Amino acid sequence: MSTNHNNHAALAAAFNKDEPRVEWHDQTLWWVRKKRDIAAAKVPDWEALRDTASRIKDNVLSNLSGYLRQFEEEAIRNGITVHWAADATEHNQIILSLLQKHKVDKMVKSKSMLTEECHLNEFLHENGVEVIDTDLGERVVQLAGEPPSHIVLPCIHKKKEEIGEIFHEHLGTPAGNADPQFLTHAARLHLREKFLTRRVALTGVNFAVAETGEFVVCTNEGNADMGAHLADVHIACMGIEKIIPQRRHLGVFLRLLARSATGQPITTYSSHFRRPRPGQEMHIVLVDNGRSVHLGRKDFRNSLKCIRCAACFNTCPVYRRSGGHSYHTAVAGPIGSILAPNLDRSKYADLPFASTLCGSCSNVCPVKIDIHEQLYKWRQVIVQEGNATAGKKAAMKAMNWVLSNPSVYHGAGRAGRWFMLNAPFTVNNGLNAWWRQRDMPVAPKQSFGEWYKKNKH
Amino acid sequence: MTKHRVGLFIPCYVDQFYPQVGIATLELLEKFGCEVVYPPNQTCCGQPMANSGFEHLTTGCNDLFIKNFSEFDYIVAPSGSCVLHIKEHLHGSDIPKKMYELVEFLTDVLKVDSLEASFPYKVGLHQSCHGQRGLGLAQMSELMAPPFSKPQQLLDLVKGIELINLDRVDECCGFGGTFCVAEEAVSVKMGKDRVADHIHHGAEVITGADMSCLMHLEGILRRQKSDVRVKHIAEILNSQIKA
Amino acid sequence: MSSREKILSAVAANQPAPRELPPLPSAAPAAESAQGSAMPADLDAQFIAVLESIGGEAYTVSGFARIGTILHEKFPAAKRVISNCPQIQPFAEAASASEDPHTFEDVDLAILPAHFGVAENGACWITESQMLHRALPFITQHLALVIHRRDIVADMHQAYDRIALLESAVAPYGFATFIAGPSKTADIEQSLVLGAHGPISLTVFLLDEQLSDAGFF
Repeated sequence: MSTNHNNHAALAAAFNKDEPRVEWHDQTLWWVRKKRDIAAAKVPDWEALRDTASRIKDNVLSNLSGYLRQFEEEAIRNGITVHWAADATEHNQIILSLLQKHKVDKMVKSKSMLTEECHLNEFLHENGVEVIDTDLGERVVQLAGEPPSHIVLPCIHKKKEEIGEIFHEHLGTPAGNADPQFLTHAARLHLREKFLTRRVALTGVNFAVAETGEFVVCTNEGNADMGAHLADVHIACMGIEKIIPQRRHLGVFLRLLARSATGQPITTYSSHFRRPRPGQEMHIVLVDNGRSVHLGRKDFRNSLKCIRCAACFNTCPVYRRSGGHSYHTAVAGPIGSILAPNLDRSKYADLPFASTLCGSCSNVCPVKIDIHEQLYKWRQVIVQEGNATAGKKAAMKAMNWVLSNPSVYHGAGRAGRWFMLNAPFTVNNGLNAWWRQRDMPVAPKQSFGEWYKKNKH
Repeated sequence: MTKHRVGLFIPCYVDQFYPQVGIATLELLEKFGCEVVYPPNQTCCGQPMANSGFEHLTTGCNDLFIKNFSEFDYIVAPSGSCVLHIKEHLHGSDIPKKMYELVEFLTDVLKVDSLEASFPYKVGLHQSCHGQRGLGLAQMSELMAPPFSKPQQLLDLVKGIELINLDRVDECCGFGGTFCVAEEAVSVKMGKDRVADHIHHGAEVITGADMSCLMHLEGILRRQKSDVRVKHIAEILNSQIKA
Repeated sequence: MSSREKILSAVAANQPAPRELPPLPSAAPAAESAQGSAMPADLDAQFIAVLESIGGEAYTVSGFARIGTILHEKFPAAKRVISNCPQIQPFAEAASASEDPHTFEDVDLAILPAHFGVAENGACWITESQMLHRALPFITQHLALVIHRRDIVADMHQAYDRIALLESAVAPYGFATFIAGPSKTADIEQSLVLGAHGPISLTVFLLDEQLSDAGFF
């Protein structure tokens, strides 16, 4: 377990120093959860739809190699160039090569969590390429020099006054203007110039259809389309798990995605890309980066069913009160906490513990990933592989000894209660993390066991 | 009435800090005609260690549990999280099939439909997560499915009780086992928000089926010097048994 | 071994045991009229209600003259209006499909046909050949779409059945999209703003006469 401050507990504690801000963050995201509930209630067969989506994804995982081959064949037939990247480094290099081939050093990019995972922007920047993120929230955090804190609502952690300041500094909007309408319009003008002048556009992929070799990109803003249809080169990046078998399956996923994410019946645009425009190049980069390894983990492979809706983020009481940056990884929240340990076990060993295992996440997940059960299982793996602190190991061993021996347990209980009653300062002090903001329970004179022995036996 | 012979499991922290909950549970079960036996050498279900990633250290607890409780046809505990843990993680025994949380035992096995209980207070019901989502004690707000609530079903039988509404009917309290100290800041904030929801709606007493949640909320209430008390549902259902 | 081989063999080695595809939800039953034929009356009312709730506007019209009048009133300041509906001329310019999309940068209003609407979410399905250029439905400041009032399906399952039918009749699209309302964002403190990078407004016309099918596929 990481002992530096880059762990969820420390970062969340820092986040909680500003209690009104935590409440604002929590209320905002709870509202998104409520919008999801309202939208889901309007779909009569919602739970059956989740089940269908889950089973489609189960089928996909069980035949992923076949579907990948089929998709590649169809895509190539459609005139799309298909690239395969084993890891983040290869992914980044492929994109740089395409840019260099076309002698381009400026590009626009619409939302792709995969490119966050691969740290594409930093890599391209180091290699002299300017990348403009065109999703409004992504552009805000890009200008602020921060990663997104939510995979659907990238700057949900930022107040409008802060966004106003960022736009004042970088876009020249009037100081003090925090009106969302005004700021959005300023972004529209600022980014329109980029769309019109950039020759290469990169997009993410929400779904890729094996049957037809097409892929779908969903946005509300229209930025993916503005970029792609004006560019000479359209590069689409996707994790290999984003394949679905048949086009008609999109009916299931497009009914679930936006309702789960934001409470909308569908995103404004659900764009189906099948062939490049005449004279345009269309590329798709299929990325592994640990997914094939994860696929082999019986207990954890279901996390590959994820459609990146973030419903689990919005419902998670811990995420709402700690913010995405506390997870120190590209994809935060409950799903991130079961994906990240696959990428780096010790760096992300803290994440499966950033949860009370309440189970809310698993029950909003449109593809029925058993998130809270995987959190529990990752804890076992992490400890077994030696990533628990020495202190925690010792405490658990002691607890095991006490709880496996009734007489020791009874003695320890009596002793603990004696100290609480007669020398409370030994327990009520700064070393006791419970006691910082909560009173200890009142110690009774006798335990239930002692009462029973006296009164019932 | 069939006399059920019940093995009573009292969670470790209830045993040590809230014996009155154990007493209320026992009296309630006897009142409904059960022969209740408390094996004296029980300790803990092992959940605190398992949830911390130390499942491999729970064999001692598990063996002790099996030794103490195998003989019973019914094992009842006033704790949703302990019962869920046993049901999901105790292997090599048929105990999981015989294990019941108190509320579900009352509604599903004893089929309690009336109570001689009186509790004339405004009460907020906290739906503990493991009991609700894990054992199905009540419908969860995440699912598009018909509402039901076994704890509420029982509380509705108590004379004089007034159940309050909440803004968030099933948000986690933040206890979460060792989470309560390992992620103290978030844990406390979650608890404070739960408490605020209940107080906002006028609760005089907060109840639920899990004393761990209530212990956490009580710690916050007492630190706030609040008059609001916590009471395990067993205590409310058993109230007025003694004059 | 190329990355492609590495990835495919790793995936094949690690994928779990086969799991069957589930059946898809059956089509929502259409309301029957007294004569026994399916009546879409509820569907277009639902379509309009949902579209309006997501920031779009809808008009049910008897013909293109009416469309021209309404748009003229709504967008009096529109300087450059382009259409792919022949009947809408001379109100709108008929641009050629092969132009460089950058030349559409100053289009104020584009009027395009779409194939059908989806009642459950207020979306319209439009394919490339209806767009004049892929960029046009996005680069225009305001967008108007025209569908036939009877061409509204209940849900997305029916939508994809319809898309498959359309494809069997004509060449497969190279690009197509569902458009549901104007472009929008709520990225700034969850405040909904209509008009992000795509059109600031969307108006859908539901025609109740047959659309001429020249050049619409």
